[in-house]
Amino acid sequence: MRTPRLRRKDFGKLDRAWLRAALIVAAALAVPGLACAGGTGLSDDDQGNADEGPSYFGFVREVDGPGVADAKVTAELKDRGALVTRTDILGVYKIPGFGKDINPNDVSIACAKDGYKEANTVRRPQGDPKDPIEIECYLKKL
Amino acid sequence: MTEHDRGRHVRAGRRPWLGVASAAVLCCLAAGAARAQTLAGSVRSAAEGAMEGVLVSAQKAGSPVTVTVVSDEHGRFRFPDGRLAPGRYALRIRAVGYDLAGPHAVELGAAPAEVALELDRTADLAAQLTNTEWFMSMPGTPEQKRPLLECMSCHTLERIVRSTYDADALVPLLKRMAQYANNTTQGRVQPRIAEREVRDDLAQRLADYLATVNLSAAAKSPAGAAPTSVPSSVPTWPYELQTLPRPKGRATHVVITEYDLPRATIAPHDVRTDAQGNVWYSNFVENFLGELDPRTGANHDYAIPVLKPDFPTGTLDLEADADGNLWLGMMFQAGLAKFDMKTRTFQVFPVQPGLNDSATQQSMVMPRAFAVDGKVWSNDVARQSIMRLDLKTGQYERIDPFKLLHTGHQHSPYGMAADAGNNLYFMDFGDENIGRVDARTGATTIYPTPTPKSRPRRTMLDDRGRLWFTEFAADKLGMFDTKTESFKEWKVPTPHTYPYDVFMDKNGELWSGGMASDRVLRFDPQSGRSVEYLLPRPTNIRRVFVDNSTSPVTFWAGNNHGAAIIRLEPLD
Repeated sequence: MRTPRLRRKDFGKLDRAWLRAALIVAAALAVPGLACAGGTGLSDDDQGNADEGPSYFGFVREVDGPGVADAKVTAELKDRGALVTRTDILGVYKIPGFGKDINPNDVSIACAKDGYKEANTVRRPQGDPKDPIEIECYLKKL
Repeated sequence: MTEHDRGRHVRAGRRPWLGVASAAVLCCLAAGAARAQTLAGSVRSAAEGAMEGVLVSAQKAGSPVTVTVVSDEHGRFRFPDGRLAPGRYALRIRAVGYDLAGPHAVELGAAPAEVALELDRTADLAAQLTNTEWFMSMPGTPEQKRPLLECMSCHTLERIVRSTYDADALVPLLKRMAQYANNTTQGRVQPRIAEREVRDDLAQRLADYLATVNLSAAAKSPAGAAPTSVPSSVPTWPYELQTLPRPKGRATHVVITEYDLPRATIAPHDVRTDAQGNVWYSNFVENFLGELDPRTGANHDYAIPVLKPDFPTGTLDLEADADGNLWLGMMFQAGLAKFDMKTRTFQVFPVQPGLNDSATQQSMVMPRAFAVDGKVWSNDVARQSIMRLDLKTGQYERIDPFKLLHTGHQHSPYGMAADAGNNLYFMDFGDENIGRVDARTGATTIYPTPTPKSRPRRTMLDDRGRLWFTEFAADKLGMFDTKTESFKEWKVPTPHTYPYDVFMDKNGELWSGGMASDRVLRFDPQSGRSVEYLLPRPTNIRRVFVDNSTSPVTFWAGNNHGAAIIRLEPLD
């Protein structure tokens, strides 16, 4: 008997579902601790603050292609600052997010890698304002 | 301008006046140097026969200088020709698990001398363990051990594990110590002026753990007996003491020179050499800039103006500007100090009243590219912020590089480097980020390290725009390429090393040291080949420096808790 074959876009759905679930679990397991002004103390744990802006995640992919590993992903607040990270081996990035005063609509995501140029980004609909924001970034080979 | 940051020599002016005592040492050593003799010999023990990797140290009576070599695979050692002047030398060894049975001294005369050292098994292994070996030995989870990383800043872990305090007695002790300034040593405790908040549950959690690894259980005595920190005999712990192997092969090809400083309270933190070969160091607990002449062992202190008399004294970061003058982060004295190498005088830049309170602390300074815009970078540890000094006005501005990020995270801008445009790169020692502050716009870019909770500490920027840095809590060396905005990381070979600083030398090799292992790491990031040089004494290393003018290069560091400057000369 033949196993039904999954198409690429089906993989994308599975990837996103897995990623979303993983991020929710990770957020639930965050351990509160001590934040200490001097850089030293009896613990280096952080105090999680539930009243914060959402995190950002997603894939960097080739257009109609696989995820792109080690791509640079920039989450930028125009003229104010940026947070830069890189995708993992699957092409996934995660950005912890910004403070509660930052409007997520002011945050732009860009991706880059040698040999590619950015094609476009796709922001998935966000359910709850506190939910992580999923933005896919597509690269096109030069 | 590229800096190859700390590899630059600072320009020295006239020779300073030397103290009478130092001058006497100078005459003695200089006279001896003309008739220097060779000392060689062998090391053996009944247990092992000829022993490789035993550090053999010789210190002439009355001299502040100790020279150390390491025995080879045949148990043979030899001091370099010309290093030891005639006279009587005290001998000591370092080989974990062993004590020197004898001889303990040797008379060097006109002819080369040969000594046969005999070692005995030690009766007190615990007295020989490094902090790294205590971390290896103590049971417990990484989370339980993590708070102990901060303890090493002021004292060894041996002090903790030898205590007999139970958890109830440890809680107030921990809370008291949390009120000490970072620049505290056992020789000089400096209370903070601004009280720090310490959570009861965290103090209790740590106390509960420490009571399981110290001698409190063994010392349980009849009710009412007072706790003591000094057991009466050689104690035993309820866990096996683990040790690192002795040096082998290439790790024995080294000469180490220790220069004892004239006061036990001197805590050398950052060390660098100038073009004349003199060594400059910041003093972490006394308000002096130190200068050492390694040819003679002579030391000179330059008093730094005290800005806040009732506050902790001492400086941390020591950097050279493009003119060769030295700058110091004045810690709780709240400001920066510039030392003019020609006039040998200080100019101080106190933090202005609006930004200066009882917690203000400038540990870092980065003057490298101030010619671009007249601005010098610094930090304020208490506010987890960057400070920038305008040299024209003497005013500081505060920049919060983390203001856009989630709150509740512990951040701490620490090691700093500036590029040719005076854009700042800094290490977020409290967390896991490298940051860049644009000199023109003030905008901050944050780059999380690939390893979470890595706590990047000190850094240098090389000629190719690469930041080399340590990941203190992750036991890694790191490189951040400022051009490609990408990271590379390398695990250090010995777990629980907790590297403090790293320096890339002219050959592309990395040199690193820290507060835990009493070892200097030499690492080739191209091949992954590494060698660890064991140091002769417990050595709390902070900033490291490599003098690229010698061949092979020469490594320098201070012994922050041992009042000594260390010179390490690899023989290959």
